[in-house]
Amino acid sequence: MNDQVGGNLKRERFHALCQSLRPDLLRFAFWLSRDLALAEDVVQEAMLRAWKAQDSLLDAAAAKPWLLTIIRREFARTFERKRLVTVDIDELVAREEPTLAAAQGDDLAELRAALFKLPEEYREPLVLQVLMGYSTAEIAAELNLSNAAVLTRLFRGRNQLRALCGEDTRMDPEE
Amino acid sequence: MMNCAQYRRAVLADPRDANPELRLHRDGCRECLEYMERLLRFEGRLQRALRVSIPAAGAASVVPLRTSGLRRASPSRRGWLAMAASVLILVAAAGSLWLAQPHSSLAADVVAHMAGEPQAWARTDIPVPTPDLAQALADARVQLDPKVGMVSYARSCLFRTHHVPHLVVQTEMGPVTVMVLAHESVPKPERFDEQGYHGVILPVAGHGSLAVLARGQGPDPDMLKQIAARVQDALVWTGS
Repeated sequence: MNDQVGGNLKRERFHALCQSLRPDLLRFAFWLSRDLALAEDVVQEAMLRAWKAQDSLLDAAAAKPWLLTIIRREFARTFERKRLVTVDIDELVAREEPTLAAAQGDDLAELRAALFKLPEEYREPLVLQVLMGYSTAEIAAELNLSNAAVLTRLFRGRNQLRALCGEDTRMDPEE
Repeated sequence: MMNCAQYRRAVLADPRDANPELRLHRDGCRECLEYMERLLRFEGRLQRALRVSIPAAGAASVVPLRTSGLRRASPSRRGWLAMAASVLILVAAAGSLWLAQPHSSLAADVVAHMAGEPQAWARTDIPVPTPDLAQALADARVQLDPKVGMVSYARSCLFRTHHVPHLVVQTEMGPVTVMVLAHESVPKPERFDEQGYHGVILPVAGHGSLAVLARGQGPDPDMLKQIAARVQDALVWTGS
């Protein structure tokens, strides 16, 4: 009986944790895949995997990076299975228009479309840093890169993004 | 001494890098200060751009449905004495679980929410851009008097089905998190100490409550209480 009460409590706490983390994880998955439907599927699948493996989570404070790693692996599996074809960015932007649309008076749609155009090797570290709040060292650990490589990708990513958005880059340094 | 190109390369890779050398260069170079201000404005837009609206979770749970409820003993098979004993055991078990767990309560949910945003706790001297702060506060129809101190983190977070402001204020005793819980009322101040976080939830007359918490070696409880009072004093409610 104790086990059952404890099990239900455990389930409720895990559910609450997932619910609180889901918005940013889903956003991360969206920017990774540029496909909201696929992102939702992957996050749901990742959370089920996380539920089955929750005993390996020793520290609740590490839940977000732990789930994010599971999501990245789930994506890798999906891409292996699907053998995705080359994508047309304009088509992707058009397909995801409702998600990329900004609230009235907010000039973000152009920036979001520019993010779609950024190569994945620059987009992912940028999303990890700006949306997920990862430090350079944490991004390096997640992507299995050196700190220097991460900083280079972040520098190039921001440069490209600012140029795509028509920002004044005259004062930017050479690489 | 760092030159302008080195400074700009560093901040383009990480605009929130708190390296003192960067600060030193920025303080002594007007062009780089302007460059940084422009970059931070872009960064604020980028942060908002990444936070796309996403569909709410469906009715289905993200975890497997709960197992069947507790089985009821049949009075016909078990005597009243056995039934009473079962009830006592159930009450004792529930009591011990209640004592062992963070109270299923607001405090526990606030602490659980912290797990999702560990990056918020960074010590930094870079304030969050003003539009980002205003946007994070807008959901609770509240403004924050700058006298509260430097706000280094501001987000509007989904918490118990409502969007609530989640702020981090840099205090003399380190970063302190504030959650403005306009939809959550508490009858009296509630202190908590869970999973390395300690804090207080204060009732705010007519506006729900305010959670103020620190972690690890942050401010002691009395200091935290003073900070909480300062934050409460700095909140300016703009709607009912």
